[in-house]
Amino acid sequence: MRVFWTAVALLAALLLQTALTQIAPGHARILDPFLIVLVYCGLTGGEMYGMLAGAAAGWIQDIHFGGSVLGLSGLTKILIGFAVGIASTRFHLVEAAARALVLFVATAADALIYTQLAAVFDVASYEVTPVGILVRALVNAVVGVAAYEVLERRGRFRMGVRRRA
Amino acid sequence: MASVIETRKSRLLLVGLVLAHLVAISKQVERGGQSLLGQGLFALVTPFQAVITGAIRGVSGGWAGYVDLRRVYEQNRSLQERVRVLEAQLQARQEQAQEAERLREMLQLKKELPLEVLAAEVIVREGAPWARTITVDKGSAEGVRLNAPVISATGVVGRVIAVGPHASRVQLILDGQAGMGVRIERSRVTGILVGQPGLPTAVIGDLVMKYVPSLADVVVGDVVVTSGLDHLYPAGLVVGRVRSAARGNGLFKEILVTPSAQFNTLEEVMIVRTPLPDDTMTQGVR
Repeated sequence: MRVFWTAVALLAALLLQTALTQIAPGHARILDPFLIVLVYCGLTGGEMYGMLAGAAAGWIQDIHFGGSVLGLSGLTKILIGFAVGIASTRFHLVEAAARALVLFVATAADALIYTQLAAVFDVASYEVTPVGILVRALVNAVVGVAAYEVLERRGRFRMGVRRRA
Repeated sequence: MASVIETRKSRLLLVGLVLAHLVAISKQVERGGQSLLGQGLFALVTPFQAVITGAIRGVSGGWAGYVDLRRVYEQNRSLQERVRVLEAQLQARQEQAQEAERLREMLQLKKELPLEVLAAEVIVREGAPWARTITVDKGSAEGVRLNAPVISATGVVGRVIAVGPHASRVQLILDGQAGMGVRIERSRVTGILVGQPGLPTAVIGDLVMKYVPSLADVVVGDVVVTSGLDHLYPAGLVVGRVRSAARGNGLFKEILVTPSAQFNTLEEVMIVRTPLPDDTMTQGVR
Protein backbone atom coordinates (compact mmCIF):
# COMPACT_ATOMS: atom_id res chain seq x y z
CA MET A 1 0.00 0.00 0.00
CA ARG A 2 2.87 2.26 0.84
CA VAL A 3 4.38 1.62 -2.54
CA PHE A 4 1.12 2.48 -4.19
CA TRP A 5 0.79 5.79 -2.40
CA THR A 6 4.38 6.51 -3.10
CA ALA A 7 3.75 5.93 -6.78
CA VAL A 8 0.75 8.20 -6.58
CA ALA A 9 2.80 10.85 -4.88
CA LEU A 10 5.51 10.58 -7.49
CA LEU A 11 2.96 10.81 -10.22
CA ALA A 12 1.57 13.93 -8.59
CA ALA A 13 5.04 15.35 -8.37
CA LEU A 14 5.57 14.62 -12.05
CA LEU A 15 2.36 16.40 -12.91
CA LEU A 16 3.24 19.37 -10.73
CA GLN A 17 6.76 19.64 -12.14
CA THR A 18 5.42 19.39 -15.66
CA ALA A 19 2.86 22.05 -14.91
CA LEU A 20 5.54 24.30 -13.48
CA THR A 21 7.69 23.92 -16.57
CA GLN A 22 4.71 24.88 -18.64
CA ILE A 23 3.67 27.79 -16.44
CA ALA A 24 7.03 29.21 -15.55
CA PRO A 25 9.73 27.60 -17.65
CA GLY A 26 12.49 29.76 -16.22
CA HIS A 27 11.52 29.15 -12.62
CA ALA A 28 10.40 25.56 -12.70
CA ARG A 29 13.34 24.48 -10.55
CA ILE A 30 12.35 26.75 -7.72
CA LEU A 31 10.23 23.89 -6.48
CA ASP A 32 11.26 20.23 -6.45
CA PRO A 33 8.16 18.16 -5.69
CA PHE A 34 10.10 14.92 -6.13
CA LEU A 35 12.42 15.95 -3.35
CA ILE A 36 9.44 16.68 -1.12
CA VAL A 37 8.07 13.20 -1.81
CA LEU A 38 11.29 11.37 -1.15
CA VAL A 39 12.01 13.35 2.01
CA TYR A 40 8.61 12.39 3.31
CA CYS A 41 9.27 8.77 2.42
CA GLY A 42 12.57 8.93 4.22
CA LEU A 43 11.09 10.59 7.24
CA THR A 44 8.28 8.10 7.57
CA GLY A 45 9.81 4.91 6.24
CA GLY A 46 13.53 5.00 7.10
CA GLU A 47 16.63 4.84 4.93
CA MET A 48 15.61 1.92 2.76
CA TYR A 49 12.29 3.41 1.89
CA GLY A 50 13.75 6.85 1.40
CA MET A 51 16.51 5.50 -0.78
CA LEU A 52 14.19 3.53 -3.05
CA ALA A 53 11.79 6.42 -3.29
CA GLY A 54 14.72 8.66 -4.09
CA ALA A 55 15.85 6.32 -6.84
CA ALA A 56 12.41 6.30 -8.37
CA ALA A 57 11.95 10.03 -8.03
CA GLY A 58 15.36 10.76 -9.39
CA TRP A 59 14.95 8.57 -12.41
CA ILE A 60 11.60 10.07 -13.22
CA GLN A 61 13.16 13.48 -12.94
CA ASP A 62 16.07 12.38 -15.09
CA ILE A 63 13.88 10.88 -17.76
CA HIS A 64 11.46 13.74 -17.99
CA PHE A 65 13.50 16.76 -17.09
CA GLY A 66 17.12 15.66 -17.23
CA GLY A 67 19.64 16.27 -19.94
CA SER A 68 21.47 13.83 -22.18
CA VAL A 69 22.84 11.88 -19.24
CA LEU A 70 20.42 9.91 -17.13
CA GLY A 71 21.05 8.95 -13.56
CA LEU A 72 22.47 12.09 -12.05
CA SER A 73 19.27 13.02 -10.30
CA GLY A 74 18.67 9.39 -9.44
CA LEU A 75 22.03 9.09 -7.77
CA THR A 76 21.60 12.41 -5.99
CA LYS A 77 18.19 11.56 -4.66
CA ILE A 78 19.26 8.10 -3.56
CA LEU A 79 21.85 9.74 -1.37
CA ILE A 80 19.39 12.31 -0.09
CA GLY A 81 16.73 9.68 0.61
CA PHE A 82 19.23 7.50 2.44
CA ALA A 83 20.51 10.40 4.50
CA VAL A 84 17.02 11.56 5.43
CA GLY A 85 16.04 8.01 6.33
CA ILE A 86 19.08 7.67 8.54
CA ALA A 87 18.35 11.01 10.12
CA SER A 88 14.76 10.02 10.80
CA THR A 89 15.93 6.98 12.71
CA ARG A 90 18.39 8.99 14.76
CA PHE A 91 16.38 12.13 15.49
CA HIS A 92 12.82 12.98 16.37
CA LEU A 93 11.69 14.62 13.11
CA VAL A 94 7.93 14.86 13.40
CA GLU A 95 7.58 18.51 14.21
CA ALA A 96 6.95 20.89 11.35
CA ALA A 97 10.01 22.95 12.11
CA ALA A 98 12.23 19.91 12.14
CA ARG A 99 10.83 18.73 8.88
CA ALA A 100 11.21 22.17 7.40
CA LEU A 101 14.84 22.10 8.43
CA VAL A 102 15.25 18.67 6.89
CA LEU A 103 13.70 19.86 3.68
CA PHE A 104 15.84 22.94 3.67
CA VAL A 105 19.06 20.99 4.16
CA ALA A 106 17.99 18.26 1.77
CA THR A 107 17.26 20.77 -0.97
CA ALA A 108 20.60 22.49 -0.55
CA ALA A 109 22.38 19.18 -0.45
CA ASP A 110 20.50 17.97 -3.51
CA ALA A 111 21.57 21.01 -5.49
CA LEU A 112 25.16 20.78 -4.38
CA ILE A 113 25.47 17.05 -4.93
CA TYR A 114 23.85 17.29 -8.33
CA THR A 115 26.09 20.07 -9.54
CA GLN A 116 29.17 18.35 -8.17
CA LEU A 117 28.27 15.07 -9.83
CA ALA A 118 27.61 16.92 -13.07
CA ALA A 119 31.00 18.55 -12.79
CA VAL A 120 32.69 15.22 -12.07
CA PHE A 121 31.09 13.62 -15.10
CA ASP A 122 31.61 16.72 -17.16
CA VAL A 123 27.89 17.08 -17.83
CA ALA A 124 26.21 20.42 -18.47
CA SER A 125 24.10 21.39 -15.46
CA TYR A 126 21.85 24.27 -14.44
CA GLU A 127 23.55 27.20 -12.86
CA VAL A 128 23.53 27.17 -9.08
CA THR A 129 23.94 30.28 -7.04
CA PRO A 130 23.83 30.55 -3.27
CA VAL A 131 20.79 32.74 -3.46
CA GLY A 132 19.09 30.36 -5.86
CA ILE A 133 19.77 27.45 -3.53
CA LEU A 134 18.55 29.42 -0.58
CA VAL A 135 15.30 30.39 -2.27
CA ARG A 136 14.73 26.90 -3.57
CA ALA A 137 15.38 25.43 -0.16
CA LEU A 138 12.99 27.84 1.48
CA VAL A 139 10.27 27.17 -1.08
CA ASN A 140 10.68 23.44 -0.76
CA ALA A 141 10.65 23.66 3.00
CA VAL A 142 7.50 25.71 3.08
CA VAL A 143 5.63 23.76 0.43
CA GLY A 144 6.85 20.48 1.75
CA VAL A 145 5.89 21.14 5.36
CA ALA A 146 2.50 22.30 4.16
CA ALA A 147 2.06 19.19 2.07
CA TYR A 148 3.17 16.97 4.93
CA GLU A 149 0.72 18.72 7.24
CA VAL A 150 -2.10 18.07 4.81
CA LEU A 151 -1.12 14.46 4.47
CA GLU A 152 -0.81 14.04 8.19
CA ARG A 153 -4.19 15.63 8.86
CA ARG A 154 -5.78 13.48 6.21
CA GLY A 155 -4.22 10.47 7.75
CA ARG A 156 -5.40 11.42 11.22
CA PHE A 157 -8.86 12.09 9.79
CA ARG A 158 -8.92 8.59 8.25
CA MET A 159 -7.78 7.08 11.49
CA GLY A 160 -10.58 8.91 13.32
CA VAL A 161 -13.21 7.75 10.82
CA ARG A 162 -12.10 4.18 11.22
CA ARG A 163 -12.21 4.44 14.98
CA ARG A 164 -15.70 5.93 14.87
CA ALA A 165 -16.82 3.25 12.50
CA MET B 1 19.07 -7.35 15.90
CA ALA B 2 16.52 -6.91 13.13
CA SER B 3 17.35 -3.23 12.87
CA VAL B 4 21.05 -3.98 12.55
CA ILE B 5 20.37 -6.38 9.71
CA GLU B 6 18.07 -3.82 8.16
CA THR B 7 20.75 -1.18 8.41
CA ARG B 8 23.32 -3.45 6.79
CA LYS B 9 20.92 -4.32 4.03
CA SER B 10 20.14 -0.67 3.42
CA ARG B 11 23.80 0.22 3.29
CA LEU B 12 24.55 -2.61 0.93
CA LEU B 13 21.67 -1.50 -1.19
CA LEU B 14 22.96 2.05 -1.10
CA VAL B 15 26.36 0.95 -2.26
CA GLY B 16 24.85 -1.19 -4.98
CA LEU B 17 22.60 1.59 -6.18
CA VAL B 18 25.40 4.14 -6.17
CA LEU B 19 27.68 1.83 -8.11
CA ALA B 20 24.92 0.99 -10.56
CA HIS B 21 24.28 4.65 -11.10
CA LEU B 22 27.93 5.41 -11.55
CA VAL B 23 28.17 2.67 -14.15
CA ALA B 24 25.03 3.85 -15.88
CA ILE B 25 26.20 7.45 -15.95
CA SER B 26 29.65 6.48 -17.02
CA LYS B 27 28.32 4.40 -19.87
CA GLN B 28 26.51 7.43 -21.17
CA VAL B 29 29.52 9.72 -20.87
CA GLU B 30 32.21 7.83 -22.76
CA ARG B 31 35.23 9.76 -23.85
CA GLY B 32 38.27 8.66 -25.75
CA GLY B 33 37.08 5.08 -26.06
CA GLN B 34 36.86 4.66 -22.31
CA SER B 35 33.94 5.27 -20.01
CA LEU B 36 34.18 7.91 -17.34
CA LEU B 37 33.67 5.23 -14.74
CA GLY B 38 36.62 3.41 -16.19
CA GLN B 39 38.64 6.58 -16.20
CA GLY B 40 37.51 7.46 -12.72
CA LEU B 41 38.19 4.01 -11.38
CA PHE B 42 41.50 4.02 -13.21
CA ALA B 43 42.41 7.36 -11.68
CA LEU B 44 41.18 6.17 -8.30
CA VAL B 45 42.89 2.83 -8.39
CA THR B 46 46.16 3.93 -9.98
CA PRO B 47 47.62 5.61 -6.88
CA PHE B 48 46.80 2.56 -4.77
CA GLN B 49 48.28 0.34 -7.41
CA ALA B 50 51.36 2.53 -7.49
CA VAL B 51 51.63 2.39 -3.71
CA ILE B 52 51.07 -1.37 -3.65
CA THR B 53 53.47 -1.92 -6.52
CA GLY B 54 56.01 0.32 -4.84
CA ALA B 55 55.59 -1.52 -1.57
CA ILE B 56 55.89 -4.90 -3.26
CA ARG B 57 58.90 -3.75 -5.20
CA GLY B 58 60.39 -2.28 -2.08
CA VAL B 59 59.87 -5.46 -0.12
CA SER B 60 61.01 -7.71 -2.94
CA GLY B 61 63.90 -5.38 -3.70
CA GLY B 62 64.86 -5.32 -0.07
CA TRP B 63 64.63 -9.09 0.16
CA ALA B 64 66.58 -9.50 -3.06
CA GLY B 65 69.12 -7.03 -1.75
CA TYR B 66 69.35 -8.95 1.51
CA VAL B 67 69.70 -12.25 -0.32
CA ASP B 68 72.28 -10.72 -2.65
CA LEU B 69 74.07 -9.26 0.31
CA ARG B 70 74.16 -12.65 1.99
CA ARG B 71 75.36 -14.19 -1.23
CA VAL B 72 77.98 -11.50 -1.69
CA TYR B 73 79.00 -11.96 1.93
CA GLU B 74 79.42 -15.69 1.40
CA GLN B 75 81.23 -15.07 -1.87
CA ASN B 76 83.42 -12.52 -0.18
CA ARG B 77 84.33 -14.96 2.55
CA SER B 78 84.97 -17.69 0.03
CA LEU B 79 87.05 -15.41 -2.17
CA GLN B 80 89.01 -14.12 0.79
CA GLU B 81 89.75 -17.70 1.78
CA ARG B 82 90.78 -18.45 -1.77
CA VAL B 83 92.95 -15.35 -1.90
CA ARG B 84 94.65 -16.45 1.31
CA VAL B 85 95.30 -19.90 -0.13
CA LEU B 86 96.56 -18.47 -3.39
CA GLU B 87 98.74 -15.96 -1.58
CA ALA B 88 100.22 -18.77 0.48
CA GLN B 89 100.80 -20.78 -2.69
CA LEU B 90 102.33 -17.79 -4.42
CA GLN B 91 104.54 -17.17 -1.42
CA ALA B 92 105.62 -20.79 -1.50
CA ARG B 93 106.31 -20.60 -5.25
CA GLN B 94 108.31 -17.42 -4.80
CA GLU B 95 110.17 -19.02 -1.97
CA GLN B 96 110.92 -22.05 -4.10
CA ALA B 97 112.00 -19.87 -6.99
CA GLN B 98 114.33 -17.88 -4.78
CA GLU B 99 115.69 -21.04 -3.25
CA ALA B 100 116.19 -22.52 -6.68
CA GLU B 101 118.04 -19.40 -7.76
CA ARG B 102 120.26 -19.50 -4.71
CA LEU B 103 120.94 -23.18 -5.18
CA ARG B 104 121.70 -22.60 -8.85
CA GLU B 105 124.23 -19.91 -7.93
CA MET B 106 125.77 -22.15 -5.31
CA LEU B 107 125.90 -25.04 -7.71
CA GLN B 108 127.61 -22.83 -10.23
CA LEU B 109 130.11 -21.74 -7.60
CA LYS B 110 130.64 -25.30 -6.52
CA LYS B 111 131.48 -26.29 -10.05
CA GLU B 112 133.95 -23.46 -10.38
CA LEU B 113 135.60 -23.94 -7.01
CA PRO B 114 138.61 -26.29 -6.89
CA LEU B 115 137.48 -27.23 -3.40
CA GLU B 116 135.34 -29.88 -1.95
CA VAL B 117 132.42 -28.09 -0.43
CA LEU B 118 129.35 -29.20 1.41
CA ALA B 119 126.03 -27.40 1.05
CA ALA B 120 124.32 -26.60 4.33
CA GLU B 121 121.18 -24.84 5.38
CA VAL B 122 121.02 -22.15 8.00
CA ILE B 123 118.79 -23.41 10.80
CA VAL B 124 119.46 -20.84 13.49
CA ARG B 125 120.25 -17.21 13.10
CA GLU B 126 121.26 -15.23 16.16
CA GLY B 127 120.19 -11.68 15.98
CA ALA B 128 122.19 -10.25 18.89
CA PRO B 129 124.77 -7.73 17.66
CA TRP B 130 127.50 -9.11 19.86
CA ALA B 131 126.89 -12.72 18.85
CA ARG B 132 127.30 -12.82 15.11
CA THR B 133 126.90 -16.53 14.63
CA ILE B 134 124.65 -18.86 12.72
CA THR B 135 123.96 -22.56 13.00
CA VAL B 136 123.88 -24.83 9.98
CA ASP B 137 122.43 -28.29 9.57
CA LYS B 138 125.64 -30.10 8.81
CA GLY B 139 128.10 -31.48 11.37
CA SER B 140 130.93 -33.87 11.89
CA ALA B 141 128.89 -36.73 10.55
CA GLU B 142 128.87 -35.00 7.18
CA GLY B 143 132.58 -34.24 7.32
CA VAL B 144 132.53 -30.75 8.76
CA ARG B 145 135.69 -29.86 10.66
CA LEU B 146 136.46 -27.11 13.10
CA ASN B 147 137.60 -23.80 11.56
CA ALA B 148 136.31 -24.90 8.17
CA PRO B 149 135.63 -21.81 6.01
CA VAL B 150 132.03 -21.09 5.19
CA ILE B 151 131.18 -19.27 2.02
CA SER B 152 128.13 -18.24 0.08
CA ALA B 153 127.52 -17.55 -3.57
CA THR B 154 128.36 -13.89 -3.05
CA GLY B 155 131.27 -14.00 -0.64
CA VAL B 156 132.94 -15.31 2.48
CA VAL B 157 130.53 -15.89 5.39
CA GLY B 158 132.80 -17.00 8.25
CA ARG B 159 134.25 -20.13 9.80
CA VAL B 160 133.05 -23.07 11.83
CA ILE B 161 133.70 -22.54 15.52
CA ALA B 162 131.77 -25.48 16.95
CA VAL B 163 130.91 -28.82 15.45
CA GLY B 164 128.16 -31.16 16.47
CA PRO B 165 127.19 -34.49 14.97
CA HIS B 166 124.68 -32.95 12.60
CA ALA B 167 124.98 -29.24 13.10
CA SER B 168 127.71 -26.66 13.29
CA ARG B 169 128.02 -23.13 14.58
CA VAL B 170 129.55 -20.61 12.25
CA GLN B 171 131.19 -17.38 13.32
CA LEU B 172 130.39 -14.67 10.81
CA ILE B 173 133.10 -12.36 9.64
CA LEU B 174 131.00 -9.53 11.11
CA ASP B 175 131.72 -10.80 14.61
CA GLY B 176 133.99 -8.66 16.70
CA GLN B 177 136.23 -11.65 17.44
CA ALA B 178 136.54 -12.65 13.80
CA GLY B 179 139.54 -11.88 11.67
CA MET B 180 141.09 -13.00 8.38
CA GLY B 181 143.98 -12.24 6.13
CA VAL B 182 142.90 -10.24 3.06
CA ARG B 183 144.37 -8.32 0.23
CA ILE B 184 143.27 -5.67 -2.22
CA GLU B 185 142.82 -7.56 -5.42
CA ARG B 186 143.93 -4.72 -7.68
CA SER B 187 147.05 -3.53 -5.85
CA ARG B 188 147.81 -6.75 -3.92
CA VAL B 189 148.07 -4.77 -0.69
CA THR B 190 147.51 -7.08 2.28
CA GLY B 191 145.96 -6.50 5.66
CA ILE B 192 143.85 -8.00 8.41
CA LEU B 193 140.06 -7.77 8.17
CA VAL B 194 138.14 -7.69 11.44
CA GLY B 195 134.52 -7.31 12.35
CA GLN B 196 132.60 -4.76 14.40
CA PRO B 197 134.91 -1.77 14.13
CA GLY B 198 135.03 0.90 16.73
CA LEU B 199 135.61 3.64 14.24
CA PRO B 200 133.22 6.60 14.31
CA THR B 201 132.60 6.39 10.57
CA ALA B 202 131.69 2.73 10.67
CA VAL B 203 128.16 1.51 10.17
CA ILE B 204 126.63 -1.74 11.30
CA GLY B 205 127.89 -4.50 9.10
CA ASP B 206 131.04 -2.79 7.98
CA LEU B 207 134.42 -4.49 8.38
CA VAL B 208 137.74 -2.86 9.04
CA MET B 209 140.88 -3.63 7.09
CA LYS B 210 143.78 -3.07 9.46
CA TYR B 211 147.48 -2.68 9.13
CA VAL B 212 147.50 -1.20 5.68
CA PRO B 213 150.27 1.36 5.33
CA SER B 214 149.09 4.90 4.89
CA LEU B 215 150.92 5.16 1.58
CA ALA B 216 149.37 1.98 0.16
CA ASP B 217 147.36 2.13 -3.03
CA VAL B 218 143.79 1.62 -1.86
CA VAL B 219 140.84 3.40 -3.34
CA VAL B 220 137.11 3.22 -2.77
CA GLY B 221 135.56 0.35 -4.71
CA ASP B 222 138.55 -1.92 -4.63
CA VAL B 223 137.68 -5.58 -4.32
CA VAL B 224 138.90 -7.26 -1.15
CA VAL B 225 139.73 -10.99 -1.33
CA THR B 226 141.13 -13.50 1.11
CA SER B 227 144.88 -13.64 1.12
CA GLY B 228 145.25 -17.18 2.48
CA LEU B 229 147.99 -16.02 4.82
CA ASP B 230 145.90 -16.85 7.89
CA HIS B 231 145.84 -20.57 6.96
CA LEU B 232 142.12 -20.60 7.57
CA TYR B 233 140.51 -19.28 4.42
CA PRO B 234 141.61 -20.28 0.95
CA ALA B 235 143.17 -17.42 -0.94
CA GLY B 236 141.21 -15.53 -3.56
CA LEU B 237 137.71 -15.69 -2.11
CA VAL B 238 135.80 -12.43 -2.43
CA VAL B 239 135.11 -10.76 0.90
CA GLY B 240 133.80 -7.33 -0.03
CA ARG B 241 134.57 -3.89 -1.44
CA VAL B 242 136.30 -0.86 0.02
CA ARG B 243 133.70 1.64 1.13
CA SER B 244 136.10 4.28 2.48
CA ALA B 245 139.86 4.62 2.71
CA ALA B 246 141.05 7.45 4.97
CA ARG B 247 144.57 8.37 5.68
CA GLY B 248 144.34 7.88 9.45
CA ASN B 249 146.30 9.43 12.30
CA GLY B 250 149.20 6.99 12.49
CA LEU B 251 151.08 4.78 10.13
CA PHE B 252 148.05 2.95 8.79
CA LYS B 253 145.05 3.76 6.74
CA GLU B 254 141.55 3.56 8.10
CA ILE B 255 139.77 1.37 5.60
CA LEU B 256 136.16 0.28 5.82
CA VAL B 257 134.98 -2.70 3.81
CA THR B 258 131.41 -3.58 2.97
CA PRO B 259 131.03 -7.36 2.95
CA SER B 260 129.68 -8.87 -0.22
CA ALA B 261 127.87 -11.73 1.50
CA GLN B 262 124.21 -10.98 2.15
CA PHE B 263 124.00 -11.86 5.81
CA ASN B 264 120.46 -10.68 6.24
CA THR B 265 119.14 -13.14 3.67
CA LEU B 266 121.52 -15.96 4.27
CA GLU B 267 119.79 -19.31 4.03
CA GLU B 268 122.16 -21.70 2.32
CA VAL B 269 125.91 -21.78 2.68
CA MET B 270 128.78 -23.98 1.61
CA ILE B 271 131.28 -25.43 4.03
CA VAL B 272 134.77 -26.09 2.71
CA ARG B 273 135.37 -29.64 3.72
CA THR B 274 138.96 -30.23 2.70
CA PRO B 275 141.91 -28.19 3.90
CA LEU B 276 143.80 -26.94 0.88
CA PRO B 277 147.22 -25.45 0.33
CA ASP B 278 147.26 -21.70 0.39
CA ASP B 279 147.79 -21.01 -3.27
CA THR B 280 145.29 -23.26 -4.91
CA MET B 281 142.75 -20.57 -5.65
CA THR B 282 142.45 -19.17 -9.10
CA GLN B 283 140.81 -16.12 -10.52
CA GLY B 284 137.96 -18.25 -11.75
CA VAL B 285 136.91 -18.91 -8.23
CA ARG B 286 135.25 -15.52 -8.14
